[in-house]
Amino acid sequence: MSAPLGDSDSRPEAGSTVRTETKRRELRPGQRPGSRVLVGRLLIGSTVLLSLGACASWRNPPPKDPEALADYKEANDPYEPVNRKMYGIQMWAYHNALRPVGKAWAWAVPKPIRNSIDNLNQTWYMPTVFFSDVGAGKPRRAGDDFMRYVINMTLGAAGFIDVATSLGYPHHDSDPGLTLASWGVPSGPYLFLPGLGPNTFRDAGGYAIAQGLSPINYVPRGYGLLTFNWAYNIAGVLGGFSSHIDEIDQVEQDSLDPYAFIRSAWQQNRASQVESLRNDHRATVPDWYN
Amino acid sequence: MFRSCLSLTRRTALGLAATALLSMTALSQPARAEDAKGFVTHFGSALVDIINSNKSLTEKKQEVLPLLQQNVDIATIGKFCLGRYWRTATPEQQTHYLKLFHQVLVNAVTDKIGDYKGVSFRVTGTSSSPNGELVSAQIMRPGQPTADMQLLIAHDGGMKIVDMIGEGTSLRLTQRQDYSSYLARNGGNVATLIKALERQLSHHH
Repeated sequence: MSAPLGDSDSRPEAGSTVRTETKRRELRPGQRPGSRVLVGRLLIGSTVLLSLGACASWRNPPPKDPEALADYKEANDPYEPVNRKMYGIQMWAYHNALRPVGKAWAWAVPKPIRNSIDNLNQTWYMPTVFFSDVGAGKPRRAGDDFMRYVINMTLGAAGFIDVATSLGYPHHDSDPGLTLASWGVPSGPYLFLPGLGPNTFRDAGGYAIAQGLSPINYVPRGYGLLTFNWAYNIAGVLGGFSSHIDEIDQVEQDSLDPYAFIRSAWQQNRASQVESLRNDHRATVPDWYN
Repeated sequence: MFRSCLSLTRRTALGLAATALLSMTALSQPARAEDAKGFVTHFGSALVDIINSNKSLTEKKQEVLPLLQQNVDIATIGKFCLGRYWRTATPEQQTHYLKLFHQVLVNAVTDKIGDYKGVSFRVTGTSSSPNGELVSAQIMRPGQPTADMQLLIAHDGGMKIVDMIGEGTSLRLTQRQDYSSYLARNGGNVATLIKALERQLSHHH
């Protein structure tokens, strides 16, 4: 099942692309309102986590019993006490604010409009997906991303309509965290970050890179754009969130330890995403060429 | 000379036997895959027929129950989900737990029935795994993206489903993590888990 790690030819160049983008991000700290919000969220999350993690009592020591140790390793969650606190904060916010607001959003905004907003978010995230796939050395995936971006930004009215899927360029997920994984970067321990949800050290790093790769974070200042940027971010979060309320409710109802359930499901899903990225050896020529 | 001749024939015989064995397993592998594919196709279409029918939700749930009992190895899944705590449980606890788990699993499936209509389903491929045949399938629902899933089919004593994998997530593995984490945080006594499952079932509507 698992493919060898060294299956890419274009890694060094691709890597430098990502690095250049990151540097660009570093050179303009906090200049762009959108990125400031998102990176700020990440910084708050990780700062809190690291300062708490520094205390030994916040870390679960490996158990002595060999079977318990096997469970401990499988969970890959040494910072569980901190992560559970973070999860508690997130779920408190979920029940008291996010869930009611998300429900109201889904009730007030008609489905076609919500779909368009989802499309918009997906399309505008495409450059990140593109650079991630380039970085992972997957030209076919990157080509699909590029075509999706171009088609949906033009024919799809700046991203509101997903035309590309019907033209043979279906959506797939990719992000810098997956690219790092395809390079063989280990995930590091599991993290639960408020606002970001399930993560690992590697994927949190990937998230920061993703913010650097998002063009929306580089739009010039100005009241109109600032408003638009906020609207875009808030609508995006609500849209992405409101469609998952039922799933979250179900997990809370059906599992005895929702925290552990989410941890396991997320880790497996992530591993399978890494696997499918690694095993994607499709040729660069599009289907219609053959 | 005679001895070397004998050893040669013996070697040949051994070789032949080995080849025969190998080709037999090689032949039975695709046959198994075909069987598993057919099994899933059969099960899937039976399930989809019930879901798409015009019957009431209660009737649908009643019809799905025997289908699950025949085709899903609920006891094996339940045992797997209890993980290392299975051995620490008393025989009475094991029986009690399996009875509750049976209901939990059936609820988890039947709860989803009402959500879907106009569902179609097709088997897309098979692959072998150490635990059985993995049959991939796609579920198409109107107005929703196609869902990819895999069913793990074990062979011991007739074919049965022992796991379902959706978006790379194994349901029984996730459930085991849920239970083992709950047990680890509650003193590791299976009686606690049994109480929790009873509570969960009594809250189910």
